[in-house]
Amino acid sequence: MSAPHYPAGTVRALLPTAHVSDATRAALQQRLDAPADYAPQLLAPETFALLEAVAACLFPQPDRPEHPIPLAPSVDQRLAEGRADGWRYDVLPPDREAYRLGLGGIQETAQALFLNDFPTLDTQQRHHVMQAVAGGTPPGTTWQTLDAARFFEEMLAELTETYYAHPLAQEEIGYVGMADLPAWTKIGLNEKDDREIPMSE
Amino acid sequence: MPDEEVLEEGVLSPVQPAIQDPLLRELMADAPTTAPALAIPQEQAQPTTAPLEEVDCVVIGLGAGGAPLLARLAQAGLKVVALEAGPWHNPAKDFATDERAQDFLFWNDERLSAGGDPLAMGKNNSGTGVGGSTLHYTAYTPRPLPDDLHIKRDFDKGEDWPLTYDDLAPYYEEVEQFLGVSGPSPYPWGPSRPKGYALAPLPLNSAAQLMVRGAEKIGIRTSPAPNAALSARYYQEGVGWREACTNRGFCQAGCSNGAKASMDVTFIPLAVKYGADIRPNSFVTEIERNAQGLITAVVYTQNGQQHRQPCRNLFLCGGSVETPRLLLMNELALSSGQVGRNLMAHPGVQVWGTFADEVRPNKGIPGGLISQDTHRPKDADFAGGYLLQSIGVMPVTFSGQVARGRKLWGQPLRDYMRNFNHIAGINILGDCLPHTSNYLELSDELDARQLPKPRLHFTAQENEHRMNAHAEKVMRNIWEAAGATDIWAFNRYAHVIGTARMGLSGDDAVVDRDGRAFEVPNLYISDNSTFPSALSVNPALTIMALSLRTADKFLEREQHRDA
Repeated sequence: MSAPHYPAGTVRALLPTAHVSDATRAALQQRLDAPADYAPQLLAPETFALLEAVAACLFPQPDRPEHPIPLAPSVDQRLAEGRADGWRYDVLPPDREAYRLGLGGIQETAQALFLNDFPTLDTQQRHHVMQAVAGGTPPGTTWQTLDAARFFEEMLAELTETYYAHPLAQEEIGYVGMADLPAWTKIGLNEKDDREIPMSE
Repeated sequence: MPDEEVLEEGVLSPVQPAIQDPLLRELMADAPTTAPALAIPQEQAQPTTAPLEEVDCVVIGLGAGGAPLLARLAQAGLKVVALEAGPWHNPAKDFATDERAQDFLFWNDERLSAGGDPLAMGKNNSGTGVGGSTLHYTAYTPRPLPDDLHIKRDFDKGEDWPLTYDDLAPYYEEVEQFLGVSGPSPYPWGPSRPKGYALAPLPLNSAAQLMVRGAEKIGIRTSPAPNAALSARYYQEGVGWREACTNRGFCQAGCSNGAKASMDVTFIPLAVKYGADIRPNSFVTEIERNAQGLITAVVYTQNGQQHRQPCRNLFLCGGSVETPRLLLMNELALSSGQVGRNLMAHPGVQVWGTFADEVRPNKGIPGGLISQDTHRPKDADFAGGYLLQSIGVMPVTFSGQVARGRKLWGQPLRDYMRNFNHIAGINILGDCLPHTSNYLELSDELDARQLPKPRLHFTAQENEHRMNAHAEKVMRNIWEAAGATDIWAFNRYAHVIGTARMGLSGDDAVVDRDGRAFEVPNLYISDNSTFPSALSVNPALTIMALSLRTADKFLEREQHRDA
């Protein structure tokens, strides 16, 4: 991982400054401060653990062994509160049902391919299972009623957007757009404002 | 923002869905913790409150279609009430520079997307709140070119407008001057204009500079784009001084300093100054008629209370989904058979490339550079045409597109996203033809208000496929010439259009050229649902121009009646 990124602590250092608005600071700080132990509100504990295993497969974070950016809680919270994002593929059932069915399906595919539960599989095997689901025709009776490719796309998009909404993930890709006050003045090619510190390799 | 507003806005499903699947039933039976009761206040049938006094006009929806005419009607001294489903925001306080924290701006009530190319809704194209979708439009305001309005005459495909460019030109000018559009004068494409843009163009950001570099090499003319974001302070009646754009790049989320001309900082304050009564959080469910078929009142729910507002005229401005949905639910103006039909969506293919230069694509106005050289390409094998624009992007939106469009996940996704500061994009906005397989209907699935969710059927046809292929090739050439590597295309469709088209007769159209329903003389529709064709430009400016024109035609008619 040699791509340029901001040194650890860049976003945390910017948050208390006058470059960040109160509303922005509150939103990002809340994500940084989210407690590590989350008790699922909607999904059953074993279903939630399954979602966590899937999220870890789709978003490997070997660089954060102790404190990975949490992804599954955001999904569980959204489903519990009944929030939507304005649309749904007509081929998929309502989100709660889709997640429960889909996670059950992943379990079924894991059993069909490796005779084991998904969370007990090794990295390579988990990858295989997800590949099969993403490909749209995985083994398992669930997938006869649930469109595997669409379910995978929806779940992946939700986890991905959750990941990159986190200040530490934004730091990782060199984004400090949250520090937008009073204005960006250097917006051309290869230009940066003073608060955009150089990135390291 | 109070919690109940969040909950009201985006609700998955009002009822516990019947579980069809045996595996799910099994899973749920195994699960010790079953789903808690929905934490959503269920709408109960409420007794209506004390009757409200009849007003001249009710306007439903306060986006680009509703706000301009609301101001015009109020200025004419009419008693007007505006009902907006979403809340009234305070941008300076409420709009964090954070995509997730701003997602309350989107119309998050669920719509069902069907067909071969299911349309992404919500943040892709639908807004809620006082200001409607203009709260999160990119403020990109090119005018259509005159031949956009007669695609059938020119290609024998699609539909012509019952209006000409010249009918709209004075309104384009008025809107551009009022909003304070920044842009090049003279504008390089289309007929000459009596007046230049109100302000000089906004500065070009790095994506725009790269597009200039690539386009020059392959002989495509470019120009800074017209944007309804202020390149300098601007004075506006009803508002006062609005401050210049700070290059924050968050136009698609929501502008926090009022530089972007969303309706909440332009036409709505003007309307308020002239006495318009704005009622936020007001969701209309019913439209009442008398024995003659004239609209007499609308019924709406505000903060859990049901109200009935009698009116002499109704202006329906809910956009291409909520407008036909209200018509269908109320069995209103359906005799032409066109309500819900002719659903169109702008081809909006994006092409992304990675550059050695530092781009930082989140800074500056997202739609910085335009070209209309592709309006009628000589080598086209399709009807109509498109425009090109450079695009900026924010990380959450971009990552979601990478996941969906590039099918990347795991370490390759993380590795690719680390190039964020070196990525730039171009996209198109192209015409779309109506087709019988593309339409909106009411589904059997109910939302939290016990109203049917809309279902949108959209399948791109031969013309859209050919246009997309042409455009993708052009954009790849530009990026290659500019020195990009790892070029990829994200196939997408933007603005939803059509569904209550205007035309010359009630046989094949819902409203006339003035926006008046053929079947219901005191019903007007003003939003992108009335567009007979999609136009090869972003719709907001034309929606606003039509809105002012509809108000003027209505006022003329009222005057004649009084005389």
